[in-house]
Amino acid sequence: MPSEPADSAVADRRLHPLSIFFGFAAQIPKLVLPGVFVLFSARSSQWAEWQLWAMLLLIPYTLVAVGRYITLRYRYEPHEIVIRTGLLFRNERHIPYSRIQNLDAVQNVLHRLAGVVEVRVETGGGQKAEATMRVLPVAAYEEMRRRVFAGKAAEAVAEGEAAESVPVPASTPERTLLRMPLHDLLICGFIENRGIVIIGAGFGLLWEAGLMDRLMGRWLRVNGPGGGLPEWFGGDAPGGGLSAAVVKAFLGQGELPLTRIALALTAFAGILLLIRLLSMIWALLRLYGFRIVRAGEDLRTEYGLLTRVVATIPLRRIQTLTIREGPLHQLFRRAAVRVETAGGGGGGDGEEESTAKQREWLAPLIHRDALPGFLREVLPEADLSTVEWRPVEPRAFRRHLKKSLIADVLIALPFVLMLKFWTLALLAVFIAWSVVAAHLYVRHLGWAVIDGAVLFRSGWLWRRVSVARFAKIQAVTIHESPWDRRAAMARVRVDTAGARGEAQRVDIPYLARDTARALYELLSGQAAQTAFRW
Amino acid sequence: MTASEQPAQPILPLLEEGAGEITPPLPSIADGVEHLLDPRHVTLSRIVRWLGAGAVSLGSLVPLGSIVFFASIPGWVTGILPLLWVVGTLGLAWSAHRWPVIEHRHASYKVDDNGIQIRQGVVWRKEINVPRSRVQHTDVSQGPLERRFGLGTLVIYTAGTDHAKIELHGLDHATALAIRDHLVHGEGDAV
Repeated sequence: MPSEPADSAVADRRLHPLSIFFGFAAQIPKLVLPGVFVLFSARSSQWAEWQLWAMLLLIPYTLVAVGRYITLRYRYEPHEIVIRTGLLFRNERHIPYSRIQNLDAVQNVLHRLAGVVEVRVETGGGQKAEATMRVLPVAAYEEMRRRVFAGKAAEAVAEGEAAESVPVPASTPERTLLRMPLHDLLICGFIENRGIVIIGAGFGLLWEAGLMDRLMGRWLRVNGPGGGLPEWFGGDAPGGGLSAAVVKAFLGQGELPLTRIALALTAFAGILLLIRLLSMIWALLRLYGFRIVRAGEDLRTEYGLLTRVVATIPLRRIQTLTIREGPLHQLFRRAAVRVETAGGGGGGDGEEESTAKQREWLAPLIHRDALPGFLREVLPEADLSTVEWRPVEPRAFRRHLKKSLIADVLIALPFVLMLKFWTLALLAVFIAWSVVAAHLYVRHLGWAVIDGAVLFRSGWLWRRVSVARFAKIQAVTIHESPWDRRAAMARVRVDTAGARGEAQRVDIPYLARDTARALYELLSGQAAQTAFRW
Repeated sequence: MTASEQPAQPILPLLEEGAGEITPPLPSIADGVEHLLDPRHVTLSRIVRWLGAGAVSLGSLVPLGSIVFFASIPGWVTGILPLLWVVGTLGLAWSAHRWPVIEHRHASYKVDDNGIQIRQGVVWRKEINVPRSRVQHTDVSQGPLERRFGLGTLVIYTAGTDHAKIELHGLDHATALAIRDHLVHGEGDAV
């Protein structure tokens, strides 16, 4: 296979025949809800009837899957890959090799048994994958990888930009940057706390299916106070009985239902524990055998027990890098490293979004001691070992404190007015906490400019460090709120591609106006000097 | 590459009648000096604000009238509601008349060889710097009113997230075209 003549490249290729099956299987999540609905709405009627409905539901999806398999053809042109689809409405998509950012491969258990793989071709633009090949034989995937990356390398040389993107011949030595042993996986699951997602998804499903009402209704009738709440859905909120009793007790009517409170707390703790356990299982399944390899100028990650994912991240596609350390991370002396690559993920629908997210998880968990070496490999031009953090303005403490004090008073005021005056003590606790928190928050804010990048760190419990390289800065802004102006301060913000969510930004608040101005000038000057390439 | 772009330059101003005279200052558009927006923009945005204020204050007359005449409310409320309406309308009228001037004083742009810098905002002030090499593409758009006044809006697209699209209203149309040409020519070397 690897030694086939070049002219066969133009020949049309097709998907694996099993595509019909997998294409159909991919639609099943969409089928679950209507399926369950059919099941429940037709529960009372004849068995055969709901079977008929189910069949009717399946037909369009089957047709789509078959149609896609029959009509999809792809071929390799010298500079691009061409994918044709459609029977009535023909669609021919040309994707130049140089525009392809990632070739991600996903293999679940069934894929592996059949020796096929689902391939996602991702380019810079857009939210979703440019093309999803569901499914290809493994050999065809290998061929695609080879051709695309050879094509990319050739383009790079042709453009005379060999300086940054060295061609990636197959013989490039691979260096393993990180492997996650079993206990790291478990710690990762424990920290990431994905269990809540699983439970949430489960509840959502039950809710949608209308199962929830039945389940809760029965449970309440058996265990509920006073023989149950007949209209709990329309009347009291679930658990309303307990909270109502507690409120009554505080208002001096009736006793505190101590046993019921204890029971509720135990159940709550049990659920929390269960969530953590589920999360550990999730990590085990999802990230099993996590490995990240540097091959030339690309990073390749592989992971997954049931669903095996292989993803490639070209180093120069990294837009920003974020190091996160939560309280649990600090306890275990670990950190998590994420990167943002432009394109792919973000607002896509379910599955595709999640792989993009995973790929950007450069190191789900890494020991603090291994971090500097790891970062040197990932960001070769930015030396993070000699960072000299610079603090924000010390006066920021008072401004930050003022903000949280106002919030404290606003929260506590209704309680003080409504309840007894001992709640003032609560307010005092709030205020003391705010003072400590504001002090720590401001002390942990910091920024630094090093060769080739700007760094920002924030958070004292959930710490994070964001790194934006000059070459990836899209725009620099300086903001002045009215309060900033009164205190002669400003905020400097760096915009990069693919920065989703606040957590990944370099967004430095509370800078003295002159410092902010100088930083703004410096960053925009540096950005202007470098050429941006995806 | 630059040779192919040079003949393209005169064509663009030709499309716009009377813009031919603006061509001489074209090379100096990247002068690195802060420029205020075109003064005609004040008039334009006054018109827009007057229309908006008129719509709001006339539109609120209907619910106000129905409350005053048909709802059973104490007499002093019936007295105070029209007063509130008058105060609100006066406030809107003032802001429609004054605000564009204040806004104009606080908005400027600066173009140099590195890129473009835009300053905006009266209360929450913001200054944004887009390097030339980061401009993905640009638009110059003109609404019906803008066409009337010979103004244009320059829209800059970057690959960023917050600032994927940056709009600069209130430029002279020919200036907007010139800035666009300046920014886009820079991109030719970068990619």
